[in-house]
Amino acid sequence: MTNLTEKLPSAGAVPSVQRPLWQRLLLSEYLVVLLCIVYFVAMLPIVPQIASLQTFQNILSDMLQLIVVALGQTVILIIAGVDLSMTAIIAMASVVGASVMTGTGGPLVGSPLATPAGILAMLGVGAAIGWFNGLCVARLRMPPFMVTLATTMFFSGVAIWYVTLKSTTTSIANLPRSFVVIGQGKIYGIPHSLWVAIAVGVAIHLILTRTVFGRQLFAIGNNRVTSEVSGVPVARRVHMAFVISGLCAAIGSILYTGRLETGSPIIGANILLDIIGAAVIGGTSLAGGKGKVIWTVMGVLFLVLLDQSLKLMGLTLFMVFAIKGAVILAAAIADAARTRLSGR
Amino acid sequence: MAYLQVENISKSFFGVPVLHGVGFTLERGEILGLIGENGSGKSTSMNILGGVHQPDAGQMTIAGETYAPASSRDALERGISFIHQELNLFPNLSIEENLFIRGFPRPRPWLPVIDRKRIRRRTEQLLDMIELKVPPSTLVSRLSQGERQLVEIAKALSTDAKIIIFDEPTTSLTRREIDRLFNIIARLKAQGIGIIYISHILGDVERLADRVAVLRDGMLIGAGPIGEFSVDRMISMMVGRSISQLFPERSRARTSEVVLEVMGLTQPGMIRDVSFTISRGEVLGLSGLLGAGRSETARIIFGLAPYRSGSVKVLGKPLQANHPRAAMEAGIAFLTEDRRGEGLMMNAPIYDNLALPNLDTHARPQTGWIDRTTLALRAEELSRRVRLNAADIASVLARNLSGGNQQKVVLAKWLMRRPDVFILDEPTRGVDVGAKAEIYKIINTLVEDGCAVLMISSETEELIGMCDRILAMSNGEVRATFEREDFDQERILEAAMQNGRREVA
Amino acid sequence: MKENNFRWVLHAVLRYLPLILFAIIVASFSLMSSRFLDLRNMVNIVIQSAHIGILGIGMTFVLLTAGIDLSVGAIMYLACAVFAVYLVALPIWLALLAVCAIGAVFGAVNGFLITRLNVASFIATLSTLFIGRGIALFVTGTQLITLPKPVLELGRTTIFGLSWTVWAFGLTLAVSLYVLSQTTFGRQVYAVGADPDAASKAGIDVKRILFFAFVICGFLAAVSSLVSASQVGSISPNFGIQKEFAAIAAAVLGGTSLFGGRGGVLGTVFGAILIQTVQNGLVIINADPYIYPVVVASIIFLAVMADSLRTNFLERIDQRPIRVEGQGS
Repeated sequence: MTNLTEKLPSAGAVPSVQRPLWQRLLLSEYLVVLLCIVYFVAMLPIVPQIASLQTFQNILSDMLQLIVVALGQTVILIIAGVDLSMTAIIAMASVVGASVMTGTGGPLVGSPLATPAGILAMLGVGAAIGWFNGLCVARLRMPPFMVTLATTMFFSGVAIWYVTLKSTTTSIANLPRSFVVIGQGKIYGIPHSLWVAIAVGVAIHLILTRTVFGRQLFAIGNNRVTSEVSGVPVARRVHMAFVISGLCAAIGSILYTGRLETGSPIIGANILLDIIGAAVIGGTSLAGGKGKVIWTVMGVLFLVLLDQSLKLMGLTLFMVFAIKGAVILAAAIADAARTRLSGR
Repeated sequence: MAYLQVENISKSFFGVPVLHGVGFTLERGEILGLIGENGSGKSTSMNILGGVHQPDAGQMTIAGETYAPASSRDALERGISFIHQELNLFPNLSIEENLFIRGFPRPRPWLPVIDRKRIRRRTEQLLDMIELKVPPSTLVSRLSQGERQLVEIAKALSTDAKIIIFDEPTTSLTRREIDRLFNIIARLKAQGIGIIYISHILGDVERLADRVAVLRDGMLIGAGPIGEFSVDRMISMMVGRSISQLFPERSRARTSEVVLEVMGLTQPGMIRDVSFTISRGEVLGLSGLLGAGRSETARIIFGLAPYRSGSVKVLGKPLQANHPRAAMEAGIAFLTEDRRGEGLMMNAPIYDNLALPNLDTHARPQTGWIDRTTLALRAEELSRRVRLNAADIASVLARNLSGGNQQKVVLAKWLMRRPDVFILDEPTRGVDVGAKAEIYKIINTLVEDGCAVLMISSETEELIGMCDRILAMSNGEVRATFEREDFDQERILEAAMQNGRREVA
Repeated sequence: MKENNFRWVLHAVLRYLPLILFAIIVASFSLMSSRFLDLRNMVNIVIQSAHIGILGIGMTFVLLTAGIDLSVGAIMYLACAVFAVYLVALPIWLALLAVCAIGAVFGAVNGFLITRLNVASFIATLSTLFIGRGIALFVTGTQLITLPKPVLELGRTTIFGLSWTVWAFGLTLAVSLYVLSQTTFGRQVYAVGADPDAASKAGIDVKRILFFAFVICGFLAAVSSLVSASQVGSISPNFGIQKEFAAIAAAVLGGTSLFGGRGGVLGTVFGAILIQTVQNGLVIINADPYIYPVVVASIIFLAVMADSLRTNFLERIDQRPIRVEGQGS
């Protein structure tokens, strides 16, 4: 039987010029940028320190490590999945890397190879856990939420237990200077982590926009079946996406660990919700098919800006939570409205 | 005055007229067979009767009183029950729960508990009426397709239906289930329930119906007692002599180079021993009813479905694997039946849709780095070639396009691959007349350039207008082949309606 | 024939894997320590699993409709925080009712966002998680709050020798089991989860069902917080943190599907008890505390994998193609 709706010629989209201003703003991809600017300007009279160099540097350092991790999550969100295990990967990479670099009596202590070996180990951990996640989601068809939930519980526990094996305290300290410098060091006031973040951002941007792999990820998030019919190797791509996510978490771990100067199993424990929140605020949809590096960067910027400004205002934790929640909600409502308005 | 009287119903959707003054009557205890090809207006008429749509003109009465339902709930309350092809059952609930899901009776109105005894008894009664011998507590997920259909009938009966509309009820039923269904329909008739039976299987209609109404192009062509209608007469009325649209001319230089060779393709339960060849510059049509196995054949060739035995060869070489990528690499393109679900990414811009199957051919093989300029140029070129009517292919989303334009996008994305074989499954379904003509022209050019085309369509006229040869399929097998000289609408439809011998899976 | 038998066994194993694991776990622990199978220990397990069990039951309602509620941990904290700070003066029964009402109202807010503003449940409850926790931190001033005496006494209350938490747990289970199987609302929850479109066509008010599922979830989160708080005696700023994941894990272990329409509260309670049994057993055999989450995570993983293998691979093979019968020759 003919599906009736198929026969109806669609009215076509309303040309954007004809919409009222508020609608155009709402629909704009760069709503978040606007929000950041507006918020910044609004805060100036209240906390003029917000425009200080010190604040700027604080924001930057907080942002950079968060961006690296949030970009990994963005990749997974694009394929309509979610990766809850990133914090566990950060923790795991942190302790494993730290133990490689500081192993008592081990061959690498004090050697110039310690740092590269540690970094390699950390990346390896991220890739391995990501690979495992991808295996379960892509090949065994398990739901990403549950897989990464199990993974995060598992490896958070393993990380803590691992530390007890390698250290008498709850963390592994005495990391080599050359490693710490990555997370902490600056040249002429520009932190090294900036280069790392830029590298990751550019790499992911290029992958997403300029490679077959990246475009196919968007397609999978948009419509998995259509992608299959069009010849996309869906399972392979999904698997790879999780490996990338794991690597991003590992790179983030390098920054976090360097900044903390210790390998700790509780590093980054609370950032999961911030990451997802930042992606949503930036405009990436949980339903998949949409997402941009710059959006996530903006989302993180906004979140960190919020954090810093509230700290400067002397407001305590609760306001940060409440406002973050409100902003995420507003972003989600805006996204729902945006989908509805841009349709028929 | 008849029990149900439908007079002069007209309906247009967005200025496109779909029904022109359709009318029919139904008495209590009478079975009316409603027949017509796809697009004849059957579904629209029934949707209006069922309250899903409202007519632009005309009126309906039931037992003399005006009947103008604003929703399907209104229709239910007036005793009209519509059993769709896609059953609306909940597999995770039991039969009795499905029947009463709208509102369970309580032993006392203030007691918030389901009166299990009462629904058990009532369900047993209903199941008895339809001869379904399963316990009312059985989960619907455990029932066969035929049994589920019977549950739908029980649902209709539980709402005290006076008129039940059956829409293509037998497409997924076994012979035994069909016999059982017909027995029940006879019983319902004896109880005084009026039945409208829609089906393509004219033999069944001949067997069941008291009266027949034939629709074509949104008009009632004829109606009367079944005695006046032989199957032949029904077919000729459905099909009509007027070719309502012109098909563009094409040079019919058929070469002898065989491009696609399908041999003995068999998948138990789907198709059996399907074989054919298509040469360069040739269009082969596949006609048949729903469930005949045409789309299944296409999907198997393209690697979307498995097959037990047989072979597929393109230009003499067998396919490397049973997967779309292998088919694509061999030079096959596939425009699927369901463009919204399988052909397009509705929420993505046209450009992304066009690019999707063409990414790897426009990128560096090692890194996957896309050559955006060439890809964009090709996308533009192809949009122009298919006369795509859209302002900016980089921003307009697929879901904002008309059906015709959407179909053109799907066509264009495959054309970009310069395929040797193009399988088109219902290429003009849901497409307006103007876009249809353009699509035909595109197909013709494609064929003249040397492509081999396999066209699946439910519109026999379309196949006759476009194809060089037509295969008629039914029940998973090829029944007949027609050369162009022998094209005859009636005979093709007849061949597609042959029931023939059915095999055990 | 043999192939069919093998498939049947595989099917059964995959389907009842959590039960099988439970049996293995109980057997292993009882072999490793005689203190495990002690009656008092069993009761202890039930008491300890009560708050996650109740939370999980609430979450089950939402999961059955194919939704998710990430804010339950925040609801726990907020409900108890408001109680501990503002409502201590009230008679205990009134205060308890007020706490439950707060939970229900929070759930109503979630329901509103999801059904009226059309925000996806994941994101809506993610944001109310933040907002709820924020408000709660404001109420408590980010301090540890010791609960007043009546609550501590409640925590020690026993009825017929059993702790009140067991009664609360049992009552919640009984009532929700009843609602889900014996009321129109309950059956419609299953219908909506299976197929919201068909449910709408069948005349069910889908939005109403979704709304009340979240209200119930919020309400039970508040009940759960009372159970938990009365056991602990105080509320820290980390109260309720990450409990939503524990609740979801319990439900999924018990057979509830994230995609809706499948599962039930009995399974969820079993899931909660299974997890607690594992932790209890590990404590008794003096295992390294660090491996608790590792073991629990493995069990959850196995259960999800078994379910996935069953639905995606086994049942696909079993699916009958369209059957066509011979008519004789």
